[in-house]
Amino acid sequence: MAYYAVKGGEEAINNSLKFYSEITQNAQALDDESLIEGLTFSIDKVISEGSLYSKKLASKAIKRSAGDLLNASFFLRAHRSSCQRVGECKQLDVNEMRLKRRVSSAFKDIEGGQLLGASNDYEIKLLIDIKKDNLDFENFDKKSSVVKSALTPLRNDNLIKKLPKEETAWDITRTFPTAPYPRSAVLQTMTRGESGSVLGFAYTSMRGYGDVHPTIGDLRVGELDIKFTHPFSKKEVKIGTIEATAVECVGTFNKDEKGDTKLTTGFGFCFGKNETKAIAMSIIDLTLYNRSYSVGTEQIVAADFEMIMHHVDGIESFGFCNHYKLPHYVTFQTDYQIFKSAQKYVESKEDNK
Amino acid sequence: MRYAFLDEEAKKEIRRAILKAVAIPGYIVSFASREMPVARGWGTGGLQVTLSIINEQDTLKVIDQGCDGSVNAVNIRNFIKSVTNVETTTSTKEATIIQTRHRIPEIELSEKQTLVFQVPMPDILETVEPNTAKAKIMHANADYSKLWVLLYEDTSQFGDSRISNRYPVLVHNRYAMDPSPIPKYDTPKLHNSKALQLFGAGREKKIYAIPPYTKVEPLKFEDKEFKVENFEGRVCQRCGCENSFLDEVYDDEGKVHYYCNDTDYCDKNLNMKGQK
Repeated sequence: MAYYAVKGGEEAINNSLKFYSEITQNAQALDDESLIEGLTFSIDKVISEGSLYSKKLASKAIKRSAGDLLNASFFLRAHRSSCQRVGECKQLDVNEMRLKRRVSSAFKDIEGGQLLGASNDYEIKLLIDIKKDNLDFENFDKKSSVVKSALTPLRNDNLIKKLPKEETAWDITRTFPTAPYPRSAVLQTMTRGESGSVLGFAYTSMRGYGDVHPTIGDLRVGELDIKFTHPFSKKEVKIGTIEATAVECVGTFNKDEKGDTKLTTGFGFCFGKNETKAIAMSIIDLTLYNRSYSVGTEQIVAADFEMIMHHVDGIESFGFCNHYKLPHYVTFQTDYQIFKSAQKYVESKEDNK
Repeated sequence: MRYAFLDEEAKKEIRRAILKAVAIPGYIVSFASREMPVARGWGTGGLQVTLSIINEQDTLKVIDQGCDGSVNAVNIRNFIKSVTNVETTTSTKEATIIQTRHRIPEIELSEKQTLVFQVPMPDILETVEPNTAKAKIMHANADYSKLWVLLYEDTSQFGDSRISNRYPVLVHNRYAMDPSPIPKYDTPKLHNSKALQLFGAGREKKIYAIPPYTKVEPLKFEDKEFKVENFEGRVCQRCGCENSFLDEVYDDEGKVHYYCNDTDYCDKNLNMKGQK
């Protein structure tokens, strides 16, 4: 008879891990460089959701999880916990980005021009090859690659609603805030969020549960320098460069704190090339801080801080979803007993009628 | 890797949260909650609590649904051992720290022991108020009317509360608390426990506690009895005991068998029989 049902966990785990390493062993043979260069969007998704900017570790994580990107982000987060914090870098300004791509759908022509850069937005998605004409590249001038956001003229004319500035930015990895949530904490939660979840919530506000149909004021992909104050010399030093995506979207107008009518905007920012996530993030940001002009206010999930703060993180939602695989026989038995006695109670009540 | 995995800053924060939790029994304390190398929802809260309080003098026991040999328990025990090198045991008596998922051991714990619960949903009000900001205000006002209404509605329709496990308790006449998904059978054991009881919710980033010898009562109407799981005179087919929470196990022929859920308790009973 089977008392073994509940014992032997150690052996079972070891065997299971062995099987897993067998089906994933081919992934381990992949070379990091070609993965980083070749599957660049996978890498960028993982560094963004894992909130650790290391393409090399992301590559390692993707191999360890054989292409399961959520799992790979989880590896990065766990690794992040074991790293000691060195300090804070100097605040970044996305206006100083060395652009590789920058588009604005709000304006036909903008300072610095539209710059499509590398994108397959306009590719006809066919798996078979279609004949392409020989292309003539217009080489991009490096000197003029730093251009301010396309919304700068409007901002200079004081037409854009400003949210109150926070003295110091929150750090959700050191202390998680309770409501009301500071905007820096909300933005951090979203930039670490799972791409699909962020997109899903943003889509609710674009479609039926809200009426945000923004215009992309400025979408940019490029490089930013990370500067750090040297602990001994106290001088500002550049310690590296990151690739990032930043979006400013524009909504309709709304009243600001002083009661003046202004254009509303939302901001999105992600590590790496993550345009969909950055746009979605900017839409949620816009929705959260401008719910008053939306129709059906009660039902707008993307305008609900609680909804966003607690449901977009991939590592958390995926972990909890998978925990249902753990043994639950005690809890199930308690459910079953309650179900049986409730059924009895309802039946006896009906018999007495 | 540093001792007990977490960096000292994290341990300090978690210890402070624990102290605050002990000082206000049943009150939910927020903490940052580091990502662990174990998935969220798999015991990361309990794990962080254990790793923050453990030292070389401790003896650790980890159970999952009452069993030391269950996969999750094995996994967590091995991880903690690998980063602390503490002694581990399956004996409830010998352990100084017991990390548990969904059960309280059958034998009474002592003053020298700490029971660490893995908690999926730390706020009992979540069942009636999903908005954490609103729930916090309800706790501040000790406003548990929505829970009472739920209890009333269930009782009128089904004869009793539909809550089968993680049954709401009132701690020290003040805070309504989620005791983690322990069966109702274990709820009375929370009351006046000699051991310190700590609760860690990693995903939800919350810690709370019941200090030793604290009054803990299930939320119930005065004229209704608090009913726990009932095994109708069934006994454990292995050790023969009549006073433990039993697992229903189906064999290959589809026949049902009953065994103690607490495997250490079952082993101890068998040992004692052997000695007689």
